[in-house]
This record gives sequence, structure tokens and C-alpha cells, in this order.
Amino acid sequence: MSFEKDVSRIEEIAQKLNGSDTTLEESLALFEEGMLLTKALEKTLTEAKRKVEVILSEDTETAEITSFE
Amino acid sequence: MAELFQTELTVTELTSLIKKTMEEGFYGLRVTGEISNFRPSSTGHWFFTLKDNGAAISAVMFKGSTWKVDFNPVEGDKVTVTGSLDVYAARGTYQIKCDSMEKAGSGDILAMLEMRKRKYDAMGYFDAALKKPIPLQPSRVGVVTSATGAALQDILNVLGRRAPSLDVLVLPAVVQGDSSAPTIAKRITQANSLLLCDVLIVGRGGGSLEDLLPFSEEVVLQAIHDSDIPVVSAVGHEIDWALSDYVADLRAPTPSAAAELVSQGYLDVRQTVSSVSAQLKKAMEYRLNLASGQLQRFDAMQFGRTINQILNNREYQLANASQNISVGMEKKLKAVDSRFQVAARELQALSPLAILGRGYAAVQNESGKLIQSYNDAIVGKTIQLTFIDGKRKAQIKE
Repeated sequence: MSFEKDVSRIEEIAQKLNGSDTTLEESLALFEEGMLLTKALEKTLTEAKRKVEVILSEDTETAEITSFE
Repeated sequence: MAELFQTELTVTELTSLIKKTMEEGFYGLRVTGEISNFRPSSTGHWFFTLKDNGAAISAVMFKGSTWKVDFNPVEGDKVTVTGSLDVYAARGTYQIKCDSMEKAGSGDILAMLEMRKRKYDAMGYFDAALKKPIPLQPSRVGVVTSATGAALQDILNVLGRRAPSLDVLVLPAVVQGDSSAPTIAKRITQANSLLLCDVLIVGRGGGSLEDLLPFSEEVVLQAIHDSDIPVVSAVGHEIDWALSDYVADLRAPTPSAAAELVSQGYLDVRQTVSSVSAQLKKAMEYRLNLASGQLQRFDAMQFGRTINQILNNREYQLANASQNISVGMEKKLKAVDSRFQVAARELQALSPLAILGRGYAAVQNESGKLIQSYNDAIVGKTIQLTFIDGKRKAQIKE
């Protein structure tokens, strides 16, 4: 996951869209790319897919990670 | 006093004497004992017994005083109260009426903590330079706390709301009592030795000064100091503190606040994403408006007129050119014609027919060769004579 990279790419796209030397076709392609990135990011950030786990044993040798919830 | 023994007293008279004596004689007291049979009333007063190994005394603390006590007394708490004796005449009982209450020995504990704080400060454990940054977007948060406590639930709730994709690893620890500090320290060490997470929240919910003491114990301070994983200390309520707060890389006022701190990066990215997405939409909208504006400026009628003009112009040029070509052609033909006339006249002057016309005849042998000398005109041979109007054959005689 490289949120920063994706976010800066979206920002770059927004900047290009604002630029006057981008053709309409290029703009549409850029917009599509930007929206896809945005959707993917939002999904990653808001989707409840976390794992809550627990290590019951205090002994590091026998420690085992198991589901908590 | 002597007359007291010769007088017959009613119960009320005696009791009021006792009350007067006791209440005037016992005030401004400072008494230490253990709380037992604690009975808070629905109206806000506290009734309990204060006892030690040898004795017990009833005690009351009225609502007007209880609000000043910064902990909830429970059975067995060793406390020091201030107050005065009070006699309840109707039942012939006496009790101590408390004005204030504090945990017994808390002064000693605070002094001990202050001393320990100075010691670790001097050892450089609180150095700002040692503080590790808390990762902006951790992938797994370790939580060292009671597996059954409200603190853990608070942390899980806050994290679930703010960073629902963030994994959590619970490292259960005893957070109260003598066995507490070693388990907390062991869990911090365990997280480090297995590199189980990239940030650790170490803490518990609110409690008394003694309840929070494990987080000020030296084993815990050492474990936090040695941790390679950044540690957020989250002990008690806003007003509570423990020495772990000073050694940790970050102090959170409560466990919930700790969860907010470690998930802040995710929330920031979420906000950034929605803001850049809005920017994107705005930019595209602007671009489309621009394009449709350009489209509106295009006038079909005007375009037709322009095209017609160009076509007319070209047609005119074409007509002009074809006119030029026919005029040129005519001129050229005339010139050729006059040259032809001259040449024809010249040709006519030179033509043998013109000579024949004047009465001459051309002489040729049988093979058509022109005979220009009498030597070629051999006797007996047939020759051909060409006149202006025809040909005749003749024979040479001599």
C-alpha cells in the first residue's frame, strides 16, 4: 500500500486537467484514471476488513496468534 | 461532675450530656483505617465502618463532602479521614462525621513516584531525542492491556470507526495489582522479539493512584525504553498520569485518544482522497464546460457562408483560366496558320509542277530515276515523260 504515491498521482492528474495544453481526449483518459485510483483508495480506507487477533501465551516460544473477535 | 451522681437522669438528659461532651471534645480529628461495609445511599451520602485490627467505628460522609473525594471508595480501602465525632441520640450511637477522605499512604506513593521520575529523567529516559515517530499508516497496532477491560473495547471501537482496515493485535496483560507490572513488561518485550506490530498502545482505563501504579514500575519503564516499536502510553483519564507517559514515545490522555492518535494518518489520507477527488471532478467539469463553450462558438451558417465564398472564388479562377487558355490557343493557331501560308507559297514556287506548268517535262528511266544527262538517255530504252497533266512512255531513237 502506497497511499502517498496514489494520492500524489491523483493530485498530478487534477493539475493536468486544469492545464490548458491538455486535449479533451487526454482529459477524459486522465479523469478516468484519477477516479479509478480514488475509488480504489476509498475502498481500501473504508472497507472493514481488519483482523483483530490475540496472543494468549506470554511465553514467546509457544506464542500463537489467534482470532480475538 | 459530683452532682451528676446524685441526680436521677432521663435517657435523653444523659444522651445529650454525652453528645455535648463527645462533640465538644473530639473535633478536627485525623483518623486512618480500613473501609468496610461501605453503603452509599441513594441521596448521595456515604455510610461505612472504619476499622483496624483492634476496633471499629461507624462513619458517615454527607453529600456536601463526598464530591470532593477523587476516588470511589471500595471495601478494604485504607483511607485517612478528617472530621469530628457525632452522636445520634435517637439510637444512642456515635460515629465519625467525615469532612475529607484520602487514600492512606498516597502521600508516600506520590513522593516515591516523584523520586523515581527524577531518577529516570536523570538517566535520560525522557529525552526528546529518543522519541520515535509514530508511523503515519501503521499496518498493525499492538495493544498491551486487559483483554476484558473497557479500555480495549474503546480502542477497538475508535480504530474500527477511523481506520477499519487496520489490523489489531491484543497482548493481554494484568493491569492492576502486584502481578501486573511484570506481565505488562513481558508483553512489550514479546511484541518486540516477534516484531508483531509497528506501533504499541500500552495502557488501561481510569482507576485509583494505586491501580495505575504498575505503569510506573521500573520493569515497565525499562521495557518501554528498550522497545524498538514506538510506544504510545495511554493510562487512565485525562488527569491521571503514570511514569510510562514520560518514557513512551507519545503520551495519550486516554486509551481512546491513543487509538485516535495511531489512526490519524488514515483519517488524513481519507480526507485528502475525498478532497483530491473533488478537485478532479471540478477540473473535469471545467474542462467539459470549456469544450462545450468552444462548440457553441462554432456557427454553422457562418461556416456555410465561408465555404461558399471559397468555392465561388475557386470557380471564378477556373473560369478565368479556361478563358485565358482558349484566347492563347487561338493566337497560337493564327500564328501557325500564317507561317503555313508563307511556307506553302514558297513550296509552290519551288515545286517541279510549277515548272511543268510552264511547258517543261520531267524525264525518268524505267526505274523512276530522273535523267539529267544525254549520257543516261540510252538509245532503245524506254523512258517516262511527266507533263503537268499526265505521263507518257517514249523510246529513244538516237
